[in-house]
Amino acid sequence: MIDTPDLIATLASDMKPVKRLQPPLVRALGWLGFAALLLALIAVNRGIRPDLGDRLRETAFATRTAAALATGILAAIAAFVVSLPDRSKLWLLLPVPALVVWLSNVGYQCLTHWVVIGPEGVSPGEAVRCFSTLVLTGLPLSCLLCFMLRYAAVLQPAAVAITGSLGVGALTAVALSLFHTIDASAMILMWNVGTTAMFGALGAFFGRTAMGWAADRMS
Amino acid sequence: MVLLKVIDGSGSNARDTRQARELDWSILMARAQDGDRVAYHRLLTEISPFLRSLATPRLRDGADVEDAIQDILLTVHAIRHTYDPARPFAPWLVTIAKRRLVDRLRGWGRIRRREVAMEREHEAVAEPQSDTGLDGHHLQAAVETLPPAQQKALRLVKLQDMSLKDASHASGMSVVALKVNVHRALKNLQRLFSDRIQP
Repeated sequence: MIDTPDLIATLASDMKPVKRLQPPLVRALGWLGFAALLLALIAVNRGIRPDLGDRLRETAFATRTAAALATGILAAIAAFVVSLPDRSKLWLLLPVPALVVWLSNVGYQCLTHWVVIGPEGVSPGEAVRCFSTLVLTGLPLSCLLCFMLRYAAVLQPAAVAITGSLGVGALTAVALSLFHTIDASAMILMWNVGTTAMFGALGAFFGRTAMGWAADRMS
Repeated sequence: MVLLKVIDGSGSNARDTRQARELDWSILMARAQDGDRVAYHRLLTEISPFLRSLATPRLRDGADVEDAIQDILLTVHAIRHTYDPARPFAPWLVTIAKRRLVDRLRGWGRIRRREVAMEREHEAVAEPQSDTGLDGHHLQAAVETLPPAQQKALRLVKLQDMSLKDASHASGMSVVALKVNVHRALKNLQRLFSDRIQP
């Protein structure tokens, strides 16, 4: 084993000027800007759902979409803040109120206005289009988040990964609501809650590995 | 009353000293981020005893403590760009140190769950048993009880470690006869000692 003074001498001789990180809020806004650009590109390419204007006038749909959007934004901010060593863990609670509003709204709507999936309620084609939107939105956002938060791999990767994944999942759910006609209750549950749960689980299981991999590649 | 004042005074002095030290570390780290190697060397040298004071109560073993300190220093080096000079340095450092120490302790926990300590029973080599009568003196006596041909073959091939060809020349016995006599001698010795070991 190398002596500690020798290690210090080695590290000091290896010292190069480093670019300090921007404040976490600025970095989170950068990531959210990329998310907005991505959604805009998908909207141009795919087109938004034809009845979006009418649906946004409905309180339930508007509340659900706004709460999902707020969850995504706040979870992203929380992930960027908590990724730094000297910030309070309480920041992890930032997206919780919006998340509670979103999930309770979805649950309440499904409970009181259960819409059964009819023969034309869901088609294999629509499911495939939904899945492709999920991948097109979720994958680039996850990759960018992993890259931007790679330094957290040596600190508290699980908390950062799960919070970041919650942000990705919520924004993906917003994208699905904007681009696809998902009105059946089971479909709303699956594509909103299921998507978020899936990204959260992926973050919990693979977040550390992914951030570590990104950190190794960039070091 | 006087005593209280002294304690209070020493407490505020200690706090002032700590704050001054932390400010110093913040300045050194900010310089280090700008590429000042001397400041960086000084910073790492100064924080090492502080890290040792954090690691010693948790780890105890000297080598482990030194290992942990080096691990923390390497982590500090790897993520030095995450430090914001506008904020205090100590909380940033302490969080990194605690995180690395916790990871180290968890790693040990995992090892303890998966590994079993080596006990005397796991030793693959049996200890010599002193009361079986298998020492050199008894062996010599046992060999002398064998027929002369077997004794000769055993001494040449096994005890003097001669090749069968050389032993054949030395004894006048054929190679085959040597082999047979050694085999019989070993069988006889085995039976003799197994009778002795039986209670």
